[in-house]
Amino acid sequence: MSDISRRKFLQTTSASALLFFSGLNNTHAAPAKAYPSKKIGNIRDLKPNEPLAFNYPDEQSPCLLVKVDNETIGGVGPQKNVVSFSTLCTHMGCPLTYSKGRLVCKCHYSMFDVSRNGQTYQGLASQWVAQIVLRLDAGTGNIYAEGVEGLIYGRIGNLKLS
Amino acid sequence: MSLFKRKDSLPIPPLDAEKYTTVCQYCSAGCGYNVFVWPEKRSGTAKSNAFHVDLSQQNQLLSGFSYTETMHNVITRKNGNKYNLAIIPAKESRINKGDYSIRGGTNAQTAYTPTGHTKDRLKDPLLRKENGFVAISWDDAVEIIATVTKSSIDKYGADSIAMKFYDHGSSGLGFEDNWGAGKLFLSGIQTHYLSIHNRPAYNSEVWGSRERGMHELNYDVDDARLADTIVLWGANAYESATVFFTEHIMPNLQGGSVEEKKQEFDAGEPAEEGRIIVIDPRKNATITVSQDINAERVLHLRPNLGTDWILANALARIAWENKWYDSDYLQKRTDMVTFEAYKSKSLQLAKSLDAVLADAEKITGISRKEMEEAAGWIAKPKTGGFKRRTLTLYEKGIIWNMKNYDQVAAIAQLNVLTSNVGRPGTGCGRLGGHQEGYVRPGAPTPGSIYAGGPPKNVDNYITGGGGKIYWVGATDPYLSTPNSKFFKKSVKKRATNLLDYLDNGGIPSDPKAYIAKVLEAFEKTDGLFMIVQDIYRTHTSEDAMLILPAAGWGEAVDTSINCHSRLLRIYDKFLDAPGEALPDWKILALVGNKLKALYEADGNKVMAERFSGMEWKNDAEVFEAGSHEFGDNKATESEEARLSAECYKGVTHEMLRKLGNEGIQTPVRQDPATGKLIGTKRRYKYSFASKDGLFKWYGTDAWTGYPAEVAKYVDNPAYPYWFTTGRSQHVWQTMYNDKRIPEKLLTVPLPYLEIHPNDAVKLNLKTGEMAEVFNEEGSCLALVYVNDATKPGLVFGLMYHAKGTMNNLTSSYTDPKTTIPWYKGTKVGVKKYTGKLDDAIKTVSLLSNNDFTTS
Repeated sequence: MSDISRRKFLQTTSASALLFFSGLNNTHAAPAKAYPSKKIGNIRDLKPNEPLAFNYPDEQSPCLLVKVDNETIGGVGPQKNVVSFSTLCTHMGCPLTYSKGRLVCKCHYSMFDVSRNGQTYQGLASQWVAQIVLRLDAGTGNIYAEGVEGLIYGRIGNLKLS
Repeated sequence: MSLFKRKDSLPIPPLDAEKYTTVCQYCSAGCGYNVFVWPEKRSGTAKSNAFHVDLSQQNQLLSGFSYTETMHNVITRKNGNKYNLAIIPAKESRINKGDYSIRGGTNAQTAYTPTGHTKDRLKDPLLRKENGFVAISWDDAVEIIATVTKSSIDKYGADSIAMKFYDHGSSGLGFEDNWGAGKLFLSGIQTHYLSIHNRPAYNSEVWGSRERGMHELNYDVDDARLADTIVLWGANAYESATVFFTEHIMPNLQGGSVEEKKQEFDAGEPAEEGRIIVIDPRKNATITVSQDINAERVLHLRPNLGTDWILANALARIAWENKWYDSDYLQKRTDMVTFEAYKSKSLQLAKSLDAVLADAEKITGISRKEMEEAAGWIAKPKTGGFKRRTLTLYEKGIIWNMKNYDQVAAIAQLNVLTSNVGRPGTGCGRLGGHQEGYVRPGAPTPGSIYAGGPPKNVDNYITGGGGKIYWVGATDPYLSTPNSKFFKKSVKKRATNLLDYLDNGGIPSDPKAYIAKVLEAFEKTDGLFMIVQDIYRTHTSEDAMLILPAAGWGEAVDTSINCHSRLLRIYDKFLDAPGEALPDWKILALVGNKLKALYEADGNKVMAERFSGMEWKNDAEVFEAGSHEFGDNKATESEEARLSAECYKGVTHEMLRKLGNEGIQTPVRQDPATGKLIGTKRRYKYSFASKDGLFKWYGTDAWTGYPAEVAKYVDNPAYPYWFTTGRSQHVWQTMYNDKRIPEKLLTVPLPYLEIHPNDAVKLNLKTGEMAEVFNEEGSCLALVYVNDATKPGLVFGLMYHAKGTMNNLTSSYTDPKTTIPWYKGTKVGVKKYTGKLDDAIKTVSLLSNNDFTTS
């Protein structure tokens, strides 16, 4: 990609998403054998279509949790409408922005449907975006990330960064 | 919860993994790829691996290295051992720079595996018996085909053999297979009933340009980054030549190539971010992506179906009126005798500008203001009087439009009138669909009606009862030919008549007895002996008598060129073909050699000679043999126009292996001074490809309305919607690979229609429902997307899908000048489907694929 494409990408990417990238090589997750269980939010705090950012399974992997308007594949909650995905585009690693029920990449315009298993319904990404396995604790409303289905962009294994 | 099995880690190739270079098997872009093969049990390490990438770190965005779930597979070689296979986009390729599309990213998934997605690849020749197909030996298959062919030629003449074969590169194995098919059908059999994979005849889709002296592939990828204005005319580049768009057009629109422009342009010439004009009845993703980048520099014209040449001529007239042309260029480089016909018929100089534009507004539906703006973007000199640089690329929306010849000629002429060929940042030609790789002996029909044509319509011949043998190679006309329902019905009937005759008293198992009975059936019935040669069973192969298993991409050495630079590269062999499958050239050579032997045994030297020259031992020999067809390629730089566009004479497989992803651009010439082989970056800087080197003008026809095949619908209230078709980014052609790949089939599970919200209200249709689209030709049941891609009154359908084809609805009309069909326009009715919806709709995305906005 040309330099200007990078500039364009920088212009169209939110500052908070960029923070993940600025710290990439400064953090080193410990080797892990199994997916950790991590509390990422509470269902009572989620507002529709206002995604919550977090990192999983390690600090170098930005993800989001979002409550959408309709039932989803792999969603939790009474309406099965709370889902979570990696926000690294599986095509070439650019940050994904949540909008109108999908994740959009402004580098090459791949779009992933968060209700339908993260499928690339438009664009270049031949791999669907990695979906985070969620567990809802019905009593407390806490939501835990407990696994990843699909490969996170830019790594040889989801748990193999040393 | 995943809809299919996902991976969360990938194997690492060791340093000594086998490495090959190849090019994607799919679209015209021709992205470079590197292939790695290593034993399943072996592994490199994060720090030491054949990728030479540190895999212990999180890869940065846009690094140019990508290795995803879809880029890996496990294959079994003929030695019985399992190997990892990784097919990775090549960062060092100047075509894709590490980028890749949703098609190319799945190349590894298409590799043959005995238990995976592709396990049902064809493995043996199959003969149709009473209750289906049974495997037979190659010896028997070749004997049956050669003997039946010979008897048919001897008794009924060469025209009793008809064929429909691919003529392209990439997934079809380029120059090698095309030379094989050319030798058998054009030199050997010499039938006139030849047709090309996607159409009813054997013709160029761009005679309207070639007969002007301009081959359609005359530009380089760099021109898309250097152009002041890019025109995409009936060409949805973002979805169908994706990486060419994202790596070369998009950076230009973003301003990323301004520095390159400053280096290439004349001193003092303005250089700024590019503009784009998209001429398409549909607001497709190419337009909305461009608008997301810089809406002020995007112009979208939506002409009425079939009217584009009127629009092109109107734009040319505006350029003429404003003197946005270079008289010196026209005098020196173009034929001023034929220019008179262009001035009178195309520019209509006898009529006032106002009258011409008023007519054009009425016919095309484009306003004068839009026409004037577009003409300015194409032709108006820049500040300082510098010529604008415009690259115009057209594709199926033009070549498969009504009046193929005039459409193509009008666009070619608009660009030459405005000097937009042969300079950096200019060019005029095809965006392309697949890659190319054509080398064959001369075709029986050399050109359009103005140059010895038109060629024969083989579809009409077959459906009308003509021919005895119909050989179909790597195409599925039951889905892809126009008016396909009628075609299928007719072929099925003739195939059934043959089978019924053979079955009466039992289909003989002995090849000689079988052959005798087939020949008897030829005498007594209108039976059609259809041979289908392919990598999978197809819709068409249901009615074949014989199915031949072919090797696919990666299973034989192939050479092809891409469309946007004519870049010739090697597509190396890294896979074993399944079972008994053979490269197409080898299958054709087996039959050709057998025919030669049969004629020799008859003492018929003349016929035996026609089938000689097919005794190749390997693919490198076929490549070399084909190169002689190009003649002498000793030429200086300024003589390049006289070389055939795909000339590779002197180039060898070994040389291409050394060049790898760098390749060499055709036409390749042998420099008279040094004897060296030199590629050609950009064409027609010095002269055109006519005998005297001058561009030949042509006066296009006036508007005369729609042909009878479509005109019958125009005022018929039963068919109120105009109908056009196109492709999806996800799937390639008939989905022969993609219907086996879960990511693809889940995303595009059904044929689909796009309907404008206004029409959807009238039809009581919502996104996610299904509708039948129909006319007197046929019908298709499809998933509905309601969105603003189409205009009110216009419905769009995915051209074809493994589960149904919109070609059931296309008419049998072809341009009388070229025999090219109008796939892209007819009229239809739409009816809501009220049965149970297909289960696939529960998992498919129903979002609009032309909305990229995030606010």
